[in-house]
Amino acid sequence: MRLTVNNQPIEIDADPDMPLLWALRDLAGIKGPKFGCGIAACGACTVLVDGAPVRSCSLPVGAVDGDVTTIEGLPEGNTLHVVQQAWLEMQVPQCGYCQAGQIMSAVALLEEVDEPSDADIDDAMSGNLCRCGTYPKIRAAIKQAAELKTKLGA
Amino acid sequence: MSRLAMIVVLAAISAPALVSIGAARADGLSEWATIHKVFSHPRCANCHVEDERPRWSGDHYGGAGMHGFNIKRGTDGSGFGNPGQRCAVCHFEANSGKPHGPPGAENWHLAPAEMAWFGQSSALICAQIKDPERNGDRTLEEVADHVRSDPLVAWGWNPGPGRQPAPGSAEETYRALLRWISFGAPCPGT
Ligand code: FES
Ligand code: FES
Repeated sequence: MRLTVNNQPIEIDADPDMPLLWALRDLAGIKGPKFGCGIAACGACTVLVDGAPVRSCSLPVGAVDGDVTTIEGLPEGNTLHVVQQAWLEMQVPQCGYCQAGQIMSAVALLEEVDEPSDADIDDAMSGNLCRCGTYPKIRAAIKQAAELKTKLGA
Repeated sequence: MSRLAMIVVLAAISAPALVSIGAARADGLSEWATIHKVFSHPRCANCHVEDERPRWSGDHYGGAGMHGFNIKRGTDGSGFGNPGQRCAVCHFEANSGKPHGPPGAENWHLAPAEMAWFGQSSALICAQIKDPERNGDRTLEEVADHVRSDPLVAWGWNPGPGRQPAPGSAEETYRALLRWISFGAPCPGT
C-alpha cells in the first residue's frame, strides 16, 4: 500500500483496516502522532489528510484518501511552522504528550480562521485533551500564531 | 321535507363516507406510529436537534446528554461542525469497530435546525415532515425515498458496536411511509 506522508511517498504492508496511527508509528516509524485513547476521544493522534484534521487512531489506513501531514511535516526546511514558533515562544507544553495533536488542530483552525476568537478556539480545540491543563497557554499560543501568520503573510 | 327527515337522509348518505374516512385515519395513524418510533429513536433524533448541539442518548449512554468535545452545528450553519472540529475529524465513511469508537457514514452531519425531532412530540414531528419549508422542500414521496436511499439515514439501522439500531429497517420505514401517505398522511392530534 502506498501513502504520501509529509510529501514523501511511503510503501507499507498493512491490512487496510489497520488504523492510520498504527501504520504511521509502527510501520513508517513516524512517532509524532501519539496514542491516547484509540477511539477518537482525546486528539493525541491528530494528523492532517489533505489539510483536514483527522483522528488517525480511528481512520483505517485503507480509507486514507489524500496526503498525510504529521507534525514532522510542518516545518519548511529549518523553519518551524508559525504555530510551532508560537508554541515555543509561549512555552506551551508540560509533559508534551498531547501537544502534537494540539498543534495539528491549531494549524487546521488557522487555515480557516485568520483571527480566531476565544469561542473559535473552544469550538476547534475541545476534542484535544491535555492532562497537564495547558489550555490557557494553548489559547495564547494560537492567538500569537495568528499574529505571526499575518505578519509574515504566511 | 321536515328538518328532522332531512337530517336523517343526510346522515344516511354520509355515514359510510365518514366511517371510511375514520378508518383511513386510524390506519394512517397506526402507520405514523411505526414511522415515529424510527424518527424519535436516538439513532435518528440525536442529530435532528433544534439547537447547536448533537446529543448522545440511547440505551448505553445512561441518559441523554450533549455530544462531548463541545461539538456544534458550525458557525456557518452547515451542520458539518466548526473549523478545526468538523464532524469528519472523527466520523469517517464507516463505523469504528471499537466499542465507543466513532460511528461513521458518508456525509456525516447534523440535520438542519428546522428539522428538529429531538424531544419533540409526535404531532410536531409529523407536522414538520409534511411542511416543505421544514422538510428540505420535499413531497412526502420524496421524504419516503430519502429514508429508503440516503446512506446517512441508513446508518440508523447499522450504527456500529454497542449502539441500539433504529427499529425495523429503511425499507420497512419506506413502506410504512407510503402506506401512511395512501391513508392521507394523518398526524396525531389534528
Ligand atoms: S488516540 Fe486518537 S483520539 Fe485519542
Ligand atoms: S502537556 Fe501533558 S497532556 Fe498536554
